Amino acid sequence: MKKTSILALVLALVMALSCTAYAESVGELPLTTEEGASVSMLAMNSWYSTVDLSDATLLNELQTRANVKIDWNLIDPTIYADTVSPMLASGQDLPDIIQLPDTDNNMTYLSTGMFVKLDEYMDIMPNYKKFLDENPIIKASLTAVDGHIYYVPQTVVTSTYQPVMMYNMPWIEKLGIEAPTTLDAFVEMLRMFRDQDMNGNGDASDEIPMSIQASFLPYMFGPAFGLDLVSGFYADEAGVVHYAAYESENYKKYLTFLNGLYNEGLLEVEFTSLNRDQITERFANDLTGVTYDFSWQMSTLYSAQYPEYDGTKGIIVGAAPLSGEYPGAYIGRTPVSGVFGVNSKSGNIELAVKMLDYIMSEEAQDLYVWGMEGLTYEVVNGEREYLPRCTEDTIWYQGLGINAPNMPSQQSAEATAVLLADWHVQAIADMEAPYAREPFPNIYSTEDEVSIISMYLTDLTTYVDERAVAFICGYASIEDEFDSYIATLQGMQVEELIKVKQAQYDRYAAAMN
Amino acid sequence: MTGKKKTLGQLIARDKYLLLMFLPVFVYYIVFCYLPMAGLTMAFQNFRMGSGFAGVFTGEWVGLRWFTQFFSSVFAKRLIRNTFLLNFYSLIFGFPIPILFAICITQMRQKGVAKVAQVTTYLPYFISTVVVVGMMTNFLSPSSGIINQIIKACGGKPINFMGNPKWFRRLYVISGSWQSFGFNSIIFVAAIMGIDPSLYESMKVDGATRWQQIIHLILPMISNTIILLLIMTLGNLLNVGFEKVYLMYSPAVYETGDVIATYVYRQGIESKNFSYASAVGLFYSAVGFVFVVASNALSRRMTGSSLW
Repeated sequence: MKKTSILALVLALVMALSCTAYAESVGELPLTTEEGASVSMLAMNSWYSTVDLSDATLLNELQTRANVKIDWNLIDPTIYADTVSPMLASGQDLPDIIQLPDTDNNMTYLSTGMFVKLDEYMDIMPNYKKFLDENPIIKASLTAVDGHIYYVPQTVVTSTYQPVMMYNMPWIEKLGIEAPTTLDAFVEMLRMFRDQDMNGNGDASDEIPMSIQASFLPYMFGPAFGLDLVSGFYADEAGVVHYAAYESENYKKYLTFLNGLYNEGLLEVEFTSLNRDQITERFANDLTGVTYDFSWQMSTLYSAQYPEYDGTKGIIVGAAPLSGEYPGAYIGRTPVSGVFGVNSKSGNIELAVKMLDYIMSEEAQDLYVWGMEGLTYEVVNGEREYLPRCTEDTIWYQGLGINAPNMPSQQSAEATAVLLADWHVQAIADMEAPYAREPFPNIYSTEDEVSIISMYLTDLTTYVDERAVAFICGYASIEDEFDSYIATLQGMQVEELIKVKQAQYDRYAAAMN
Repeated sequence: MTGKKKTLGQLIARDKYLLLMFLPVFVYYIVFCYLPMAGLTMAFQNFRMGSGFAGVFTGEWVGLRWFTQFFSSVFAKRLIRNTFLLNFYSLIFGFPIPILFAICITQMRQKGVAKVAQVTTYLPYFISTVVVVGMMTNFLSPSSGIINQIIKACGGKPINFMGNPKWFRRLYVISGSWQSFGFNSIIFVAAIMGIDPSLYESMKVDGATRWQQIIHLILPMISNTIILLLIMTLGNLLNVGFEKVYLMYSPAVYETGDVIATYVYRQGIESKNFSYASAVGLFYSAVGFVFVVASNALSRRMTGSSLW
C-alpha cells in the first residue's frame, strides 16, 4: 500500500513538472533542453534508389534545431506497404512516429487504438492546429467517424502536375496538323504515325504510334466516355454515385474503342507490361509519338532525351484532354497522399507529438522546399533563387532531403513551378489547369461499411482489371461476354458497394456545406 | 553388447553429439512451423490490426464466416482449378523427361559428350527464379524478344506470351522442366548405373538389341525409383511455386495464372484481410495434407516404403 502511494506521488510530481515544462515551450525551439533526446520514426526512404535519407543534411538541420534526434527506420517506398502492414498487424516493437502504408480510409488502424488521438494534444501542436484551421477541406477528410483526428497529413497538389496527354511536337508539325482534341482526330493521327516515316530514318515501320502504361489508359480515355475510371466510384452532377466499370453502356463503348485501337496496332500488344523506362528509351530514339504521364515529366524527362532540346521550346509537350461524346477532362487527385500517426504504446508520446508538430510546421516546410541559403539557394534582389547545382546534380539534391517523402511535407504548385522551364509552366496553365476535375473524395468508413468494403471490393477490382485486359486484347469477345460480365459484377455485390459509397458521399457533401 | 535396455539418460549421453547436431533443425521446426500454427485461429476470428500474437487469444470469434465467403466468391473455383492444373501439367510433362534423358545419357557411347550434356543441363537448376522469369520476359517480349523476332521474320504476328492467359500454363511448365530436368535426372542416372553390368552382358549374349535392353532391363530395374519419386511428387501436387507464379503473372493472366498462394498473398499482405487470407490458406493446407497422407499410403502399398 505504502509503495503504491509513493509511486502515485512520484508520478503526480513528474506529470506536474512535465506540464509546466511544456507550458513554457509550446511552439518554441528547441523542443527540449534534455541532452540526447530522441524519437524513433518509421517512414519511406527516397524514391531514388541510390539516395538514403537517414543522414540527409536538411533533415539533420531540423533535428539540430529541435534538439531531438530522429532514429530512422527507413524503408524502400516500392515495398513500403508490403513491409509495414505486417509490422503494424503484429503491433509489437513499433517506433514512436509511424508513416502509415495508406491513408487508412477503412479505419483499419485507427479503430484499434494503435494511434494517439492528436486532437487531444492540440495545445502542444500549435503548428498543426494552425494548418487545420487554414485547410478546412483537409480537416474534414482527416476527421474520423468518431470525430477525432488521428493523423498528420502529407499533402500533394491536386489539380496540376497530374497525368496529361503529351505529343511529340516535331512529328505533329511534320504532319502539319494541330494537336488533336477529339477521339476521332486522335485515331486519325495515330494511323499517320503508324504508316509514315515520322522520324525520317528511312524505315516507315519502326514508329510506335502511342506508348502508354496500362495504368494511364483510364485517365486518358475515361472522361471522353463520361467515366471516371480513375476513382472507380464517382458522383455525377446530381450527386448520384456510379461505379465506372459497371456503367453498361458507356463502359462498353470505352472497351470497344480500346479494342479497336488494339486490333489496328495503334495500342501495342505489350501495353500491359510497358514501363516508364521503356518509354523514355523510345523517346531517346525518337520512336514514339504519344504518351500519357505526369505532366512533370514532359520537360524533365521526355524532352530532355532529345539532343536538340535547349530548354526554351518543348519537344514532348502536353495538350488538352481528348473529348468524345463527353467533354475531355483531367482527373485530379485527393490532397492527402499519406498520413503519419503517433504510436499510442510509445513511452515518449509528448515528445513525439511535439516533434511531429514541428516537422510539419511552416519553418520545416520551407526547408523541404527551399533548403538552406548558400547550400541550395541564394537571395538575389530580395528573391530566392535555386543554385545551379540543384538542377544539375539530382542525386545530391535529393540526398539533402528536398521534398522528403519521409516527412509530412505539403507540396505546393508554386514551389514546383520555379524548378521548371518557362514553356512548361505555361503549358500547364494553358492545357492542364482548365480541364482539371475533382476525383471522388477520401472519406472514412463506418464499421459496417468497412465490413462490406473489405469483403467485396478487392475481388471486384481484381475481376474488373482482368476483364478489362481480356476485352481490350480480344481474349474475350465484347459482343458475347459483356452481359455476363455485368451479371458477374452484380453477383459480386457491386450494388451493395455503390450504396456504401453513396452514403459516404452524402456524408462528405453534408460536411462541406 | 549387454543386451540390457538402456535408460533414456544413457541414450542421450551416448548420442549427445548427434542430438546437438539435430538441435537447430528441431528448433527451426518448432519456431517456424509449429508455433505459427497457433495463428490458424485467425481463420475463425476477426483479426484486428495491432493485436499481434495476443490476438490469437483475444480475437472475436466469427465461426466459418471467412470460409463461407471464400466458397461463395466467384474466384474460388478458378483458384482451385488453376492451382491443381498448374501442378498436374507440371507433373505430366515434367516427370517423364528426366527419365528419358537419364536413359539417353547412360546409353551414349562417347562418355565425354554425355558428361558435357549432363553438366550443361543441370546448371539451369541453380539459376534463381527471378533470373529465369527475367530471361523469359526478355526473350518473349512482343517487340524486342528473340522469339517474336523469329516469328516476325517468318511472317507471323507477334504473340504477347506473358500477357495472354492461354500461354501462362505452357510457359510455366516448359520453363519449369527446362530448369529442373537435368538435375532431376541425376537420381535416375545413379539408379541405371547401379544395374549389375553382368545383366547387360547376358542380354547381349542372348542377342538383345539396345532398344530391348532399355525396355526389358533398364525400365524394370529403375521402376521402384520411378514409383517412389512419382508418389513423393504427388504428395506435393498442391505445393505450387509461389515465387515463380508471382513473378510471372499480371492481372492480364489471372484467369489461368492466379493460384491459391498468390490470392492469399494479395488478400493478406496487400489488402490486409488477414483473417480471410488465413482461412483460405488453411483450406489450402488441409487439401495438401490429404494429398500427402494419401500418397504416403499409396507408396506403402505399392513399394513397401513410406515416410511413416
